[in-house]
Order: sequence, then C-alpha cells, then structure tokens
Amino acid sequence: MIATDAQVLPPSTGEFLAVVLARDLGDGEKAIIGTNSDIQLAACNLAQRLHAPNLWWVSGPGGMVNPRREMLLSTADFENIESAEAWLDLPNMVDFIDWQIHFFDFAILSAIQIDRFGNINTVAIGDHAKPKLRGPGVVGIAALTGLSKRFYVVLTRHDRSAFVPKVDFISGPGYLDGGNSREERGLPPGGPKLIVTPLGVFDFVPGSRAMRIKSLHPGVSLEQVRDSTGFDLVVDGTPPVTPVPAAAELEILRARVDSKGALRKKFP
Amino acid sequence: MSRTSKLVSLDQAVADIADGASVGLGGWIFNSQPMALVRALIRQGARNLDLVPSPGSIAPDLLIGAGRARSTVCVFISFEHHGLAPQFRRAAESGTLKVYEMDGPGIAGGLRASICDLPFMPIPDLATDLPRVNPQHYRPLPTQPGERRLLAVPPIRPDICFIHAQQADEYGNVQFLGGPFFDVMLAQASRRVIVSVDRIVSPDIIRRANHLTKLPAPMVDAVVEAPFGAHPSSSASLYRADDVHLREYVKASAKTDAYRAYLERYVEKPIDSAAYLNEIGAARLAALAVSETNLT
Repeated sequence: MIATDAQVLPPSTGEFLAVVLARDLGDGEKAIIGTNSDIQLAACNLAQRLHAPNLWWVSGPGGMVNPRREMLLSTADFENIESAEAWLDLPNMVDFIDWQIHFFDFAILSAIQIDRFGNINTVAIGDHAKPKLRGPGVVGIAALTGLSKRFYVVLTRHDRSAFVPKVDFISGPGYLDGGNSREERGLPPGGPKLIVTPLGVFDFVPGSRAMRIKSLHPGVSLEQVRDSTGFDLVVDGTPPVTPVPAAAELEILRARVDSKGALRKKFP
Repeated sequence: MSRTSKLVSLDQAVADIADGASVGLGGWIFNSQPMALVRALIRQGARNLDLVPSPGSIAPDLLIGAGRARSTVCVFISFEHHGLAPQFRRAAESGTLKVYEMDGPGIAGGLRASICDLPFMPIPDLATDLPRVNPQHYRPLPTQPGERRLLAVPPIRPDICFIHAQQADEYGNVQFLGGPFFDVMLAQASRRVIVSVDRIVSPDIIRRANHLTKLPAPMVDAVVEAPFGAHPSSSASLYRADDVHLREYVKASAKTDAYRAYLERYVEKPIDSAAYLNEIGAARLAALAVSETNLT
C-alpha cells in the first residue's frame, strides 16, 4: 500500500503503477500489450476512460481490438472477444506487429532483467545452454521494442537481480550500449521511455541514454533505490516525488476498469 | 460414392508418430492446448521428439516432463499467473533439453517460408541475442547499403502438428469459436495435421456458420472428437482453464515422485478421453463451462 488521499482506500502497488502509466499514454495513439498483462491492460483502459478516448490498443495473441470490460481478464481470454470492437486473425496481424516500422506508438512490456540502457531480458539468467533461471522466452518483445516508436517497461519487483549492469540475454533492445549505438545498429528511432517499478519512475538521459531517476514514489529514499539497483542510476539533484493517484483516478480504475479488484489481489 | 471421413480415435491419430518426429503444438498459453492428443502421444511412447510449440504452457511442458522431447523451439513457454513452466524450466536449467530460442518474427517467418516453399523468409534484424544462441534459425542476410538490416529464417516444417479447436465435421472442416492464434499457419506449414475438437457436428452446422471455418478439409489429415480435449487449458466459448488442476500440476512438478504420480493418474491410466474426464470429475468440468460473468 502506498499512502495517498485520505478519502479513498490507498492504492495497491498494482493500482499505483497502472495510474502512473496511464497518465503517459496519449489520445489517438496505437498501442500493443502482451499476455499476462494486468497492469498494462488497466493502464490502457484507464487512459481511455480518463483523457485518451481515441487510444487504440490491441492484444497480440487474441486479436482483440479495444476490448473494454469493467474487469481485468487475460488479454488472450476468449471472453474478451465480445467486448472488442474488432477481432483480427494473427497471420494478418504479424505483418504490422513483426515487420512494419512504427505502426505502434508504444508497447508496454515486462522483463526478468533490465540494464542501465533499458535492454530487457525474458529468456535466461546465466549461460543460455544451462541457465541459472530459465525464463519464458522472447515472443513479441524483440519486435515491439525494436519497431514501436517508444516502449514502457513495468516491473513489479525492483532489486539487484532484476536491475543489472548488463542483461544476460537481449530479448528486446533498449539503447543497447548507450549513446547512438541503437541507431548505429540499424534500428529505427525508438527505445524505452519510462521504466515503472514499485520504487519509482525512471527515464533515460538524452545523449548518454543511461537510466535516470525521474521520480521516487512516496516514502522511497534515494538510498533504498540505490541499494536495490545493480548499477549507478543518474540522479539530477533531488528527485521529485511521483504524484500519487488522485481519488478520481482510483475511483474510475476501481469502478470501470478493475471492478473485481484483481490489481489489489495480485499486486498488493 | 461418398465423401471420405477423417474421423479417427485418439489412439489411431497418434499411432504412427515415430521416434524423432518434429511435433507442432497449437493454441496459446492456457488456450486450446491440444492436451488429449499430447496425453495420447505420451501413452503411445514416441521418444526424442523435437517440439515446435506456439506460445504455450502445459502441452510442451507435459511432453518435456514425461521425457519425450529431446528439443523444443521456445517462442514463449509460460504458466503465466502460475509462474514459470515447471518441467520446461527444470529440463532447460539442467541442460538436458536443447532449446531453440525463437521470437514472434522468427516463428511467423519460418512458418511462412514453409507455407510458401521459400528457402527462407526475411525478418527484421532487431539486435537481439537470438542469432548468437540459435544460428540455425537466424542467419545473416546480406543487404544493399541503405537497406534495412535483415535476417533469414529457414522454413519451419513440423512432421506433424496437433491443434485443438471447438468443432468440426467428420470431413475435417474445422471451426474456431475464438482466436485461432498461430493454428492456421502451423497447420499450413506442417506435413500432417491432426485436429482434436470438443464436438463433431454435422456438415449442415458447418455451412450455417461457414465464416468460422478457418481450417478447410484439405488442410486437415485427421479429426478426433475429444470433449474437453484442451483441459486443463481453455477452449473458446466452451470452457475456461482449470486453475485448480494447473495448481495441482505445478505442485506435483516440485517433486519427482509426485510428478510421476501425476503422470500415472492423468496420462497413463486413463486410456481414453472418457476415462480422463471421469478422473477429473463431472462437477469440476461442469464448473469450467460457466461464463466468467457468473463467477465471483
């Protein structure tokens, strides 16, 4: 729980992250989210309800466009179909998901490791042939990080095993080795915009493209974030406090997006 | 002369799958995993299989856990809210399972190359570590100066593929009442296509809603009627995933003895679809057929 306005039940971590993400999603943008994406889905649907009625999002696997339920269901869940405004076949979708450049304004992803230049790993920790931890795999992450105009990463844990100097496997390119290395490698303009964790919001310094503290959540100290991060984060002066979810944002989230309280249960 | 029926039993469908075959598995994570066919294949005994699963969960995991796979393509193998895929994880971490790491463009490109009889399909070079760990499926592709950087993915052509859908007629016109995911591409790319369906319907029913037919008869070699054949995953519009059973599976995976007992109880002993469903129980199955809107 993170302290906020006294009138309403304080947001759980999951609710807090969904609201923080939703605020950055623009009206009229095209977005894609993956499977097992409760926070990502909540952020998109909350943005639609609040300030972005023309936000258009698609669930890759299920082909559902703008499914709009008042409760959270897995994005591939067939019961989303009846609440979607279109339903596309995957073989048609892969053209704009896996090949086309900049079809999507943004993607929202997760990872088992992230490094200081925002590269993400969902495959393996340690040697790929005999890993210490075997993750689920790359699926659409390479294409979404490589081809979208920007991407977000939401992580529900922030510790030194997740925030590492260099990822063991690049599933999705961030700014690669920093500086202009992403462009020099031949990737279209893009890259990670914000990393959202239970401790704070992080962005990347123009030029060096190194990860920087953008804001810290209420009650989180600089020392705590440094202790939980396996590389030196850039700090510009004293980082501001992340603006807490307003009562109105939480009310809409709870009434119209996550009416069964899945975020509170899964990410307390 | 009458039209040929492709309807066979589970055992007949998997009977001649040989050791060392490559086996495509359709569905998506906890949706439409072709589980009745997977369990029948484990009972049949074929070994050293090379798996080519669409993003999946328990279908590849069970074949790996039962010791039937020597390799798997991994685009995504996950148990989502139940954690990492337990048997896949164990086998990969012990180094006993060869994993061909792939991504969305790689699998889509490889299937398309197979479907189109091309030597390779170009995909964007996205600066990942995939070519480093899987040079067999990601080859450098020379390009002209100023052109986009590309990789070449050779054809992916499974010897056989298993797909689960909701209904079909006995001639092999297969209908999907939910997302077909990669199933159509996987079927087109494979040498032989076996489909399990929850129910066989008459050709009249198929014609009445013909827009639902995503796999027409010539793309299908055999059809099996397997009610709840995707259990414990979901089958669109008919039943939801069985989270209680999935938890039981994950728990059993923690210990060798418990996993052995799981295989015996749910895979080896129930020799057909009816015996398996009896083992799961009528009340449980009926509860899964309830819409989420009625669940608390």
